[in-house]
Amino acid sequence: MGDYKILKEKVPDFIKALDKFEVFAPVKKGDTVRFEKIDDPSRATLDFSNTNVPPKELMFPETETLFRYRVVSTEIEPKVPSDEEKRVVLGIRPCDAMAFSIVDRLFGWDFPDPYYQKRRENSILVGLACAEPCSNCFCTSLGGGPANEEPLDAILYDLGEFYYLKTITDKSEAFVSSAGDALESAGDSERAQATELAGSAEKKIKRTIKTEGIPEKLPSLYDHEFWTQYSNRCLGCGICTFLCPTCHCFDIQDEIEAFDGRRARMWDTCMFAEYTLHASGHNPRPTRKERTRNRISHKYSYFPTKFGVIACVGCGRCINFCPVNIDIIDVLQKSKEV
Amino acid sequence: MVDENVLRDKAKEILSSGEVRRLIGWKRGTYGYEAAPCVITDASQADDLIFDATCVQNPASFITLEEKLPVPRGQQPDTRKIAVMVKGCDSRAVVQHLVEKAYIRDDVVILGIPCRGVIDRRKAEKIFGEAPQPVLAVAEKDGVVIRVNGEEKKVSREEILADKCLRCRYPNPVISDYPLGDEVEKWADDDFSDVSEFEKESPEEKWAFWEEEFSKCIRCYACRNVCPMCYCVECIVTKLKPQWTRRSTDLSENTVYHIQRAWHLAGRCIECMECQRVCPMDIPIMTLNRKLTKDVKELFDYEPGVDAEAQPLLASYNPQDPEEYIM
Amino acid sequence: MMDDSNPYLPYIAKIEETWYETPGDRCIKTFKVNFADEKVWETWSHKPGQCAMVGRLGVGESMFCISSSPTEKDYLRFSIMKMGKVTNALHELEAGDYITVRGPLGNWFPLEEWEGKNIVTIGGGIGQAPLRPVINYIRANKEKYRNLTVLYGARTRDDLCFQPELQCFLEEEETTCRLSVDVCEDKDWEHFVGFVPDLLMEVSPSPENTIAVTCGPPIMIKFVIQNLEKLGFKPDQIYTTLENRMKCGIGKCGRCNVGHLYVCKDGPVFSYETLKDIPEAFA
Repeated sequence: MGDYKILKEKVPDFIKALDKFEVFAPVKKGDTVRFEKIDDPSRATLDFSNTNVPPKELMFPETETLFRYRVVSTEIEPKVPSDEEKRVVLGIRPCDAMAFSIVDRLFGWDFPDPYYQKRRENSILVGLACAEPCSNCFCTSLGGGPANEEPLDAILYDLGEFYYLKTITDKSEAFVSSAGDALESAGDSERAQATELAGSAEKKIKRTIKTEGIPEKLPSLYDHEFWTQYSNRCLGCGICTFLCPTCHCFDIQDEIEAFDGRRARMWDTCMFAEYTLHASGHNPRPTRKERTRNRISHKYSYFPTKFGVIACVGCGRCINFCPVNIDIIDVLQKSKEV
Repeated sequence: MVDENVLRDKAKEILSSGEVRRLIGWKRGTYGYEAAPCVITDASQADDLIFDATCVQNPASFITLEEKLPVPRGQQPDTRKIAVMVKGCDSRAVVQHLVEKAYIRDDVVILGIPCRGVIDRRKAEKIFGEAPQPVLAVAEKDGVVIRVNGEEKKVSREEILADKCLRCRYPNPVISDYPLGDEVEKWADDDFSDVSEFEKESPEEKWAFWEEEFSKCIRCYACRNVCPMCYCVECIVTKLKPQWTRRSTDLSENTVYHIQRAWHLAGRCIECMECQRVCPMDIPIMTLNRKLTKDVKELFDYEPGVDAEAQPLLASYNPQDPEEYIM
Repeated sequence: MMDDSNPYLPYIAKIEETWYETPGDRCIKTFKVNFADEKVWETWSHKPGQCAMVGRLGVGESMFCISSSPTEKDYLRFSIMKMGKVTNALHELEAGDYITVRGPLGNWFPLEEWEGKNIVTIGGGIGQAPLRPVINYIRANKEKYRNLTVLYGARTRDDLCFQPELQCFLEEEETTCRLSVDVCEDKDWEHFVGFVPDLLMEVSPSPENTIAVTCGPPIMIKFVIQNLEKLGFKPDQIYTTLENRMKCGIGKCGRCNVGHLYVCKDGPVFSYETLKDIPEAFA
């Protein structure tokens, strides 16, 4: 497809030119980086290792209204995103983009989920290739890489003075044509530099896990003592799952203010006891042992058994943010040894 | 400071005696500037134990985190003790647990470790960058010797130690069955100047600050779960029947969560700072807790977690208690 | 679904009639409901064993089996035990009130595959609710099946659901019906006293050309399956239903999984052949 370049000082102009879209890009607040809707182009940053919260929140927000109603009536007003809300998401790391391909299978399975799917369809995904992977990145073990393109519409490479922009899908045409003067043409030399950047970045990824055999092995470890080595120190918090780009579990709750109500869904996690708690008080996963086992097994065995792909992209967030060093690579490695 | 061999030998001795069902301490992490907390049940695992300036976590949290399933019919519950390794700050959590009768003194065996401070991962990353291999670090009187990415360096305490250490008043455990290593001198103090500074801001500025911070919260509850003092069997924010706090994340519900947690910790927070350390969104949770700690100290001259014989603040009454606190 | 493109939108249904099946703190109330918009019937079709999310606007929804058989026309029935937030709110409702119904969801008992066979249903307590449509379907299609045996027990006599229908099964010739209670101080009780798995052994149905379907508390299911195996039933002759906490009902929200299966979507009906290798199924 097309090759372009954007001078770094022109990035705000580039964002401004995309005014017929809602633009989402990483924004820095202190040491945290998170995708936000960009009204002021100077707030966007492309200088970050990765966002604390993965861009899954743009398709599957922390909390969203499914429908509204008046408690006294029987009228229901759906709140599905409209086709009009065309978006460009700038600066997605390839691992987080790959996560969309994985989660797409779940939200598209049998009963398609219109909330997630509308946003996915309405979004043009512009990636940002990694030049300096983090020390806990292991995307190459999951079939990804620092410049992996699936399912991006276009990808940016930081080549010093400028970003090289490579368009991948037809969908990206719409935004290239809006970008106007901010884009300059690029060619073989930039393309070669980009390939080199990706190659050198890949060499910097040191952590790996051979995933062969894990999906088959994990169910056989159901009662194994090795889970307690990890669950003993697990806090049972939601960090590893909330910040995981492929974790997609949610709760549904009714909320009312006087007579106005809504049914909303919000992120939920298999690490919370309430997640599986029956109304009777029975809990099929009564302790963190069962919950830790479910988290790892779901990603590396149940999901691949059902949807044909491991639900992990090797972004390293669960390792980086775990307060008690439950390191998924370590867990998987141990699972192979025991 | 403690010789790791002394610590391991003591752990082996305690575990071999059959007196304890588990021992909580630290072991080397898989990468980076922080050790991993660990729970061991057998003397053969004791050689994993470590203590150095990467041992930031509070092992006392894991005493109350232990989950017990109903004992199957015909079996006896395991009533052996829990052994726990504690730094000065961690030991205050044990004391406060005892004050609140979370368990009784005979339930725990305390291995006290004098401490010259632990490093703050965020500060260390700014100085040295990421550390793919586990870092070794020893806090000394005049700085921290740190071995990171194959090189040994020495940095000042101010640059790298956690904020809690820079105002540490209890470098030695306040309670202990087996003091391990020689006591260290107290070298810092806490004047609450950070809180005093914050108090000077206008209500609007304070609100704007907290609005920004609370809106970042993803309600992962890591701050609550890691907190040694948040050990309610059923927390009011996650209770389903009846439901007091909505599960949706928005500024209002997030604020309810943080304010109620701070108030719930009034007169109980022992300032291990774990809540702030674990926050994946960098919310300065301790700023709230420290405001209440300061108020409690000034209004009631009360300090939690130092005297196991004390009454809990909210369970005690003194006719001289200041009235302005009753709204 | 109310809207084919949005599986989260429920139908509105009006309660036509309610009655209590059992008394007590955890009483069971049956709701006979009809869609507010009668046109829904043009597209609605469910099979025995399928479920629906039943809810109350402002409170929430929970998954219940549809306890009426598709052969019962123009209404749906749900028999609901008063237990948690949603069920308590539903129990407050009476005829004329509105509820939400989202479904039909999940799979169903493969009744077509079972044609020409003997069917034994083994129910305990509220577990009779998913078996009721199976029984009624078979009774409505007698010519396609061989003998129907209904085994049903509850803690006490008062805890037996659907009592008028049970009386009917006891009286009619083509159905074998045996009842049991765990505890009995009632001299008039002429049926079995003991647990359901014991009732099963007492009756000892032959596995020959037979399908056994069991629903009830997990502990009962566990022992019923053990006893069925003792009687010579093979795993693929044994069917049961599972239940778990559910929110979406369509295999998205995650929580109801047992191993790689979602109870809401891949279930609730499973053959023991499928479940025997999934330890979490009986957790």
